Amino acid sequence: MNYKRLLAIAALLFPLMVHSESILAIGIYGLLAATLAVSFNLIFGFTGQLSLFHAAAFGISAYTTAILVTRFQWGFWTAILPAIALVAVLAAIVGTICFRFKLREFYFAVVTMAFAELARLIIMNWNDVTNGTLGMTLVAKPSLGGMAIDSSVAWYYLALGLLAVTYLVCAKVVSSWIGRCLEAIRLNDALGESLGINVFAYKLLVFVLGSVLAGLAGSLYGFYTGFIEPNYLSITHSLDIVAMVLLGGIGSLFGPIIGAFVLIALPHVIDLGAEIRIMLYGGILIFVILAMPGGITGIRSRSKHAA
Amino acid sequence: MLLEVRNLTKRFGGLIAVNDVSFHVEQGEIVGIFGPNGSGKTTTLSLISGMIKPTSGALLWNGDDITHLKPFQIAHWGVVKTFQNPQLFPELTVLDHMRIACHLHLKRTLGWKRLKSLVINTANADVALDTAKRVDHILELCRLTDVRHELAANLSYGAEKMIGVAMAMMCEPKLLLLDEPASGLGKDEIGNLDAVLKDLRNHGTTMVVIDHKVGFLGNLADRSVVLHHGAKIADGTIEDVLAREEVIAAYLGKKHA
Repeated sequence: MNYKRLLAIAALLFPLMVHSESILAIGIYGLLAATLAVSFNLIFGFTGQLSLFHAAAFGISAYTTAILVTRFQWGFWTAILPAIALVAVLAAIVGTICFRFKLREFYFAVVTMAFAELARLIIMNWNDVTNGTLGMTLVAKPSLGGMAIDSSVAWYYLALGLLAVTYLVCAKVVSSWIGRCLEAIRLNDALGESLGINVFAYKLLVFVLGSVLAGLAGSLYGFYTGFIEPNYLSITHSLDIVAMVLLGGIGSLFGPIIGAFVLIALPHVIDLGAEIRIMLYGGILIFVILAMPGGITGIRSRSKHAA
Repeated sequence: MLLEVRNLTKRFGGLIAVNDVSFHVEQGEIVGIFGPNGSGKTTTLSLISGMIKPTSGALLWNGDDITHLKPFQIAHWGVVKTFQNPQLFPELTVLDHMRIACHLHLKRTLGWKRLKSLVINTANADVALDTAKRVDHILELCRLTDVRHELAANLSYGAEKMIGVAMAMMCEPKLLLLDEPASGLGKDEIGNLDAVLKDLRNHGTTMVVIDHKVGFLGNLADRSVVLHHGAKIADGTIEDVLAREEVIAAYLGKKHA
């Protein structure tokens, strides 16, 4: 049995063995961050597009769901649908602009960052609806099949379910004929285009799909923490996701999950002041980029090749 | 008429790279495009493949206007171009290159079934077998069978160029555009290329081939078009073309003509 299956089983049994609320909370944050990292890696690691719109997709969906539930008394699950539809439409607009103008690498990153900042500023200043910098408190808890999701165990399984769906969707995309097109786009898109691959359409598809998955994570995250604020959409948050992917392994499906858990759990494991913690983060990132460009999973596959 | 190039013109600012060029390609023939460096050969080929858009003029494919289509659409119609400097997917083996190049073949044979294959795991065994056979056949044809598991970027320059031809062949082209396939190749490699192109012709592939010198192409091309300073100065059989004063002048200077 490979280590991924073992980890999946361990993740399933985790709440049965661990009864500490705080450890379970780290688990939930880890699962939601991992969903972000895996969906981001589809855009970044597999298609080569460094999107800094990912946190914005997360935040826009979180806000839309929250606003529909608190101000319009929608149910949580019905509110998610328009929220991710909005994310899909916005991602399609941003993606169309970027990919029509053939923005690559740095330019793509900067333009997506600008759109993310724009979304954050709108949310921060639209006080009547979003409550501005103060953020929104969410008291309502969603329910599923008549059962309220208010315990940590229930949230844990909900987050685990979302990560599983995200992972399976991304795995399916990457291993299918679409994955080969993405590989071609990442490595040499002009050559891919000359071989009949609709580069624009596949880039857009992946950008929208990845953003929608991030949006789902955002909707859950807001209701789990019970609080949302404009910083959810910040560039720092997008860069955190980049760090998770780099740490875990950029070209790997599973790596970003490990990267996300390491970076989420680390501050709790080693109790350090905020400044020192950020320095440690930075140090780890520099070390990873210089010493192990394949990330944590990269080391494993390299040692397998050596054996 | 398979392809008709009608009054094609391309300006880059003040420079006229291609100036009012017209020619046509018939089913099954090999057309050679010659001309000294900077005569607009590569630009002409890029215009046909849609990679750059003409300033004026039209491209007709079986009578349909394809002037404004995107490169991937033109490839889908069956016009596939190779690059002068070998373009590869770094990190991938020769076989991986061929798998990516299967894209159009799978799109044509499977159509909407490709979407179904995303949901249900119905690996279509017949199609997979058929595609694998195709890959083997083309690798054989392009003399790449022995190196199929090698990283493409580690191969010789000649082999890298052959990968370009092999990938283009995977796209099932009705018209193959080869941009200086012989440039930078050694004598053996040119012999190999000549054999490959003859094989392709025997399989009925229509080709437009660029070369800046009238080397091996002379005995391969059914018809030759000569460009100079972006304009067409001759069109006909190789003997006719080489006897023309304008062609001699273009290559050797006026006093030789």
